[in-house]
Amino acid sequence: MGDIKLAIFLAYKSIFRGNLWTLFLVILVMALSFANLLLTPSIMLGVTDTINRQQVETLYGNIVLDPPMEQYYLTHADEIVQDIAHVPGVAGVAARLDNSALIEYQWVEKSEPSDRGKSGTWPVIGIDPAREAGVTTIQQHIIEGSYLDARDRDSILLGVEIAGGDEADAAEFQTLQGACVGDAVRLTYPNGVQREYTIKGIFRARESHADRTAFVTRGEMASVMGRAVYDDRASQIVVSICNPGTEAHLIDTIESLGFHGVVRSWSEHGEAAGGIVSSFEVVAGLIGGIGLAVAGIVMFIVIYINIIHSRRHIGILRAIGIKRSVIVGSYLTQALFYATTGIVLGGLAFGFGLQTYFLHHPLDLSIGRVSLGLQPATVQNAIIGLVAAAVLAGLVPVLHITRQGIIKAIWGD
Amino acid sequence: MIHVANLHKTYGRGSGATRALKGVNLHVGESEFIALTGRSGSGKSTLLHILGLLDSPTLGEFTIQGRDMLRLSENERARFRLQEFGYIFQEYSLLPGMTLLENVCVPAIGLGNIGDVKRRAADLLQTVGLGQRLKHHPAEISGGEQQRAAIARALMNRPRILFADEPTASLDLASSRVVLELFTQLHKETGQTIVMVTHEPDDEQYVDRVIRLKDGLVDESAIVSVLAS
Repeated sequence: MGDIKLAIFLAYKSIFRGNLWTLFLVILVMALSFANLLLTPSIMLGVTDTINRQQVETLYGNIVLDPPMEQYYLTHADEIVQDIAHVPGVAGVAARLDNSALIEYQWVEKSEPSDRGKSGTWPVIGIDPAREAGVTTIQQHIIEGSYLDARDRDSILLGVEIAGGDEADAAEFQTLQGACVGDAVRLTYPNGVQREYTIKGIFRARESHADRTAFVTRGEMASVMGRAVYDDRASQIVVSICNPGTEAHLIDTIESLGFHGVVRSWSEHGEAAGGIVSSFEVVAGLIGGIGLAVAGIVMFIVIYINIIHSRRHIGILRAIGIKRSVIVGSYLTQALFYATTGIVLGGLAFGFGLQTYFLHHPLDLSIGRVSLGLQPATVQNAIIGLVAAAVLAGLVPVLHITRQGIIKAIWGD
Repeated sequence: MIHVANLHKTYGRGSGATRALKGVNLHVGESEFIALTGRSGSGKSTLLHILGLLDSPTLGEFTIQGRDMLRLSENERARFRLQEFGYIFQEYSLLPGMTLLENVCVPAIGLGNIGDVKRRAADLLQTVGLGQRLKHHPAEISGGEQQRAAIARALMNRPRILFADEPTASLDLASSRVVLELFTQLHKETGQTIVMVTHEPDDEQYVDRVIRLKDGLVDESAIVSVLAS
């Protein structure tokens, strides 16, 4: 007990009766290292959260019902939509008919029919406008014109990266180069059907897939497909839920309704998109790991230098008979004090400073507004990493010095 | 009390080895105040460090009150230094973050004494003339005062032997005299055994016996006994 008291006494004196400027700098470095350790993965997580949210809000909803592997379409789509809509916890359900088309703008100005002109091939999805608005937020992202109406047959809604113009991020040649609301576009579907539509609205959802998609009504798409059976078919049915995080439970419930299809969460559905996010998470993990190593090394160096600087005092303490374990305990206590104070101050600076700032001033990136996302595991890893670095930084040099001869420790020869 | 026979100390190995002690024989009696002198490189500091258990010899015998010092473990050596020895080093050796009172208290706390440690430390600082400077930090006092505080710290655990390694080397004449007179007073009043390394001829008048070292050996022809005046 006496040894512990002496170790703490020596540590206390060394910390608070030493150079206060040095103490301030050491703690500042610790705090900044810790805050930095949280910042990088938080930004990465914020970005992945935004990508995920955008995919849920603009592409897939929370749950996607796909046709069985051997079929292209779900049959009795309206009945399925009605049944799912009655499942408790479901906020909205919408059926879609997927297709793609060559979209041409100002095609009459082409000198030769084979000229590319202002055209491109994009996905075109047939939707029930009112139901779709209950699942995705395309309706809320109209930047020009208006949303589709259920009775629309000759109107089309274009993503901004199809329409082009000043609002688009894509290169001009990858768009229709400035198509506007009220202008006409001509769509040529894979089955050879060619239709002309008036652009009713242009939206910008800030999700790259969504912004490169065109929407017509499901009735119109069924007529393009040419057979009455398509009126009650869907390429997929998307579902939004009241409480995100309950997907697994609702998937079980929807599966129990006995539809002939595959029910998946949005993340399982979008393999390509999910791949991007998971790749991003791998990168975030790598950057977080490197950040942890750098912060640990910084902490190690700062504490190491501090202890090496005290080498003579360690020698004197040993010379007058203070036990090695007491000296080691003293410097370990100091290292833990620096680490703990740095973690607490860095955590406070992060929580009340950076996080609050980003909450009110999110980063305005092309994928959307990104604020900081922080997982408890990130904080836990950062704390464990820095404390481990501090323990190592405290132990390694002091063990080295206390194993040297006393004379060498005091006089360095 | 202290008995040393055929003590050798060699630094390094092979052709680069330096033989600091080449077979020193020495006996220091209880309550003796001796000075180890000699030219630079004669081995006097090396001998003091070995006697004070700060370093180990390469070869030889070394006992204190019949106990073989060379058989002590690292922890036993530390305990022995804390309980039985007091040290005053050549350079100022107080811990800078502590007041004089706290510096003097450290050895007693190391022994596990918590009780009236502060009172004894204050008394000792009073004895060495620093009673008004208990709360001062080492940087706030002179070199001579720091050495006196170091003496107080060395006496804290009532050591059997006091080792002083050129304690006046960094001091002016007046401060040196104060420190040496403190040693003399201590020696006379309490019978404190003191082993002091010095290269100042003037310091020899304060000790009972002067042992000169030359090239790593005791210069038998120059052992001088003096009466401390």
